[in-house]
Amino acid sequence: MSIKDKVPVTILTGFLGSGKTTLLNRILSEEHGKRIAVIENEYGEVGIDQGLVINADEEVFEMSNGCICCTVRGDLIRVLGNLMKRRDKFDYVLVETTGLADPGPVAQTFFMDEEISSEFTLDGIVTLVDAAHIDQQLGRSDESSEQVAFADVLVLNKTDLVSDDALNTLESRLRDMNRMTQIIRAENAKVPIETVLNLSAFDLDQILKRRPTFLEPEYPFEWTGVYDLNAGKYELMLEEGPDPEMSLVALVNQGESEEELKDGAESSLRLYAEKANTLEPGNTIPYGEHINLKLDDKGNKSFILNIKKPTKIGLFTQHTAEEFNMKVIKSEENKEIPFNTERFWQAEHEHDDEVGSIAIERFGDVDPEKLNTWMGRLLSEKGVDIFRTKGFISYSGNPRRIVFQGVHMLFTAQPDKEWGNELRRNQLVFIGRNLNEKEMQEGFDKCLI
Amino acid sequence: MPDIEPFSPRGMFHEGWTAEVSDYAIACGWSLKGKQFIVGDVAGGIFAFEGDTGKIIWEKDNTHSGGLLAMAIHPEGEIFATSGQDGNVQICNCYEGNVIKTLDLGKGWVEHLKWSNDGLFLAIASSKKVYVFNEIGEEKWISEDHPSTVSAITWSNKNELATACYGRVTFFDIVNNKTNQKLEWQGSLVSMELSPDGDIVACGSQDNSVHFWRRSTGMDAEMTGYPGKPSHLSFDDSGKLLATSGSERITVWSFKGNGPEGTMPGELCHHTEPISSLAFSNKGMLVASGSRDGSVVASFLKNDGNGDPVGAAFAGDLVGAISWRPDDCALAAVNAKGVVNVWKFKVRTNLFSKGFK
Repeated sequence: MSIKDKVPVTILTGFLGSGKTTLLNRILSEEHGKRIAVIENEYGEVGIDQGLVINADEEVFEMSNGCICCTVRGDLIRVLGNLMKRRDKFDYVLVETTGLADPGPVAQTFFMDEEISSEFTLDGIVTLVDAAHIDQQLGRSDESSEQVAFADVLVLNKTDLVSDDALNTLESRLRDMNRMTQIIRAENAKVPIETVLNLSAFDLDQILKRRPTFLEPEYPFEWTGVYDLNAGKYELMLEEGPDPEMSLVALVNQGESEEELKDGAESSLRLYAEKANTLEPGNTIPYGEHINLKLDDKGNKSFILNIKKPTKIGLFTQHTAEEFNMKVIKSEENKEIPFNTERFWQAEHEHDDEVGSIAIERFGDVDPEKLNTWMGRLLSEKGVDIFRTKGFISYSGNPRRIVFQGVHMLFTAQPDKEWGNELRRNQLVFIGRNLNEKEMQEGFDKCLI
Repeated sequence: MPDIEPFSPRGMFHEGWTAEVSDYAIACGWSLKGKQFIVGDVAGGIFAFEGDTGKIIWEKDNTHSGGLLAMAIHPEGEIFATSGQDGNVQICNCYEGNVIKTLDLGKGWVEHLKWSNDGLFLAIASSKKVYVFNEIGEEKWISEDHPSTVSAITWSNKNELATACYGRVTFFDIVNNKTNQKLEWQGSLVSMELSPDGDIVACGSQDNSVHFWRRSTGMDAEMTGYPGKPSHLSFDDSGKLLATSGSERITVWSFKGNGPEGTMPGELCHHTEPISSLAFSNKGMLVASGSRDGSVVASFLKNDGNGDPVGAAFAGDLVGAISWRPDDCALAAVNAKGVVNVWKFKVRTNLFSKGFK
């Protein structure tokens, strides 16, 4: 049976009071043409309006080998085992877990049990978060941070009860914990249905088609300024700053919309991966190259920007303009040209929560054997603490990109599309508890050829 | 739909009759000493056919709202019980299908039904509880809550009931309301069979192993290495052979001599997809297996558990259940599309049957 014939399943997690039942009712009452079966673990206070609803008590079954990744949900196996005989009655399954449920066994059930995995496919894990209370909950219980860690989609609910500032801080905290999740803000669980159903979050081909990268990347540059410049000669002036040098990429025809800025950032990211050419003051800055401005002289330093015809120049700089009091000056008029737009980027920084994401992004090829050994050891030693893994890899000698994903120690890798002309690179995201980023990055680097 | 090509009955299987029920057929059994064949579908339709011809005798639908989960025919074959998602059990008459008694056990799914061998008791499992009623639907015993949903029940003798759940098998004396024995093992037990003398307890476990205990000696053993969870188990009538399956292969353990510990099991590989039903004949060492690929095979086994196929037939789709007629001269298979197939199984003469023993 191909994945298309399998019935998709969405897991809905979140603490009691986060709005799961409201969301569930919203999904069931909307005109979407789907016949949805609901398996409910948490029931009582609010009824479900319609649909094929089955109540089941959560039963977590550990195996005699004590292996956490073999732990499954017996209630789901039983209920789904019966539901699969009634396939003409529904074409989608929603599993609503209790607020205290560990999402691991729920997800694992769809991989570990052959009968279930032959008929159902896990579509995605949606976690509801009560914006007003999640900060406290994260501090108090492992379950809530695990539910955040496992989520493909985080619905930040009840945003009307919280200030914008607090929401931004919270979103950034959640983003640190789980960098591959999509965060959706909602009042009263009001979210577009397509943001929570049919995510194909476990079908890596699909995700990669939609989102070429799993990550909201952390860029090697902190700042971008876009300058609208007429033809002529300009100087980029920098004063003394925190570093004796600074990396920079200058792009012509840089747009100012968020999308264009992100495209520019994506191009710059690739250029940043190449070795930088050092540029002494007084020299001309080439466009579309990774360069390293030498800044160790005292006083002002200036570099030349030559503009042949009017254009918008995007400067993607390692540090913010402020730190070096960086200015663009039109030479003949000696007049400062202010930037039209600036954008700050997420720079690598310390994470506070125990649960966090580690991203590894490297250009080049890896040695499959070394990678297998490293991943094997990593997952056997840290599998309990690694909740989710996603990524793609460039195997040396293999024309196809290898995509993979895992839940705890369970791990699948499969060949995806051909690389073609694309620059070969590797991107891995690990979400887990107390992961050592430096150690993992070093381990991965040793697998590179 | 299965990937294999349809084929005509082969070997000892011969054309019999076919019929249809309304939905995915999940349960079936012979009643009235083989004169009648009853089929239950997942939606709660129950159908009774003439055993020889397949002519419909009676039918009824929506017996259990939400759907049917289990059916058990009384050993005398004149009444049967059904249960479903509605939390009810119905005891019915085989002749007309009339309900004699409805038992309301509450909200939980009623997933398992077993008549005791003498037919005096009906054991019922619903969620974490097990109930025992008599033939006319009077309550005789209720268990305490089990640690998890009860996954299998079976009678070890006329007053003793075995239950399986996560982590343990328990034996209850239901007449004296006593727990006779607890066999504990950390694992999710998904199936259970007892040898006919009640001494050997075999359980399939979610972690792809079969665990068994000998009650007389207290010895237990674990058979690992199954590719999937062994949901299907069947003992032959002598208790020598245990057929097990969690994949397209059938593994047969022989309890002859010191086995099966330390012995090589027999292996039967006749299907292309996992086994979906498995049953020894009522007498003798014939095991029938039905698969998700729609094939049904009967194999004749030797004492060591190895054996050869003696017949095969195609049921058209995933085999939901199979059942030997009480005289073993016919085999019935019902499938996921609601098709009922009954094949004649070549009559074994006395001479022939001596050959089997």
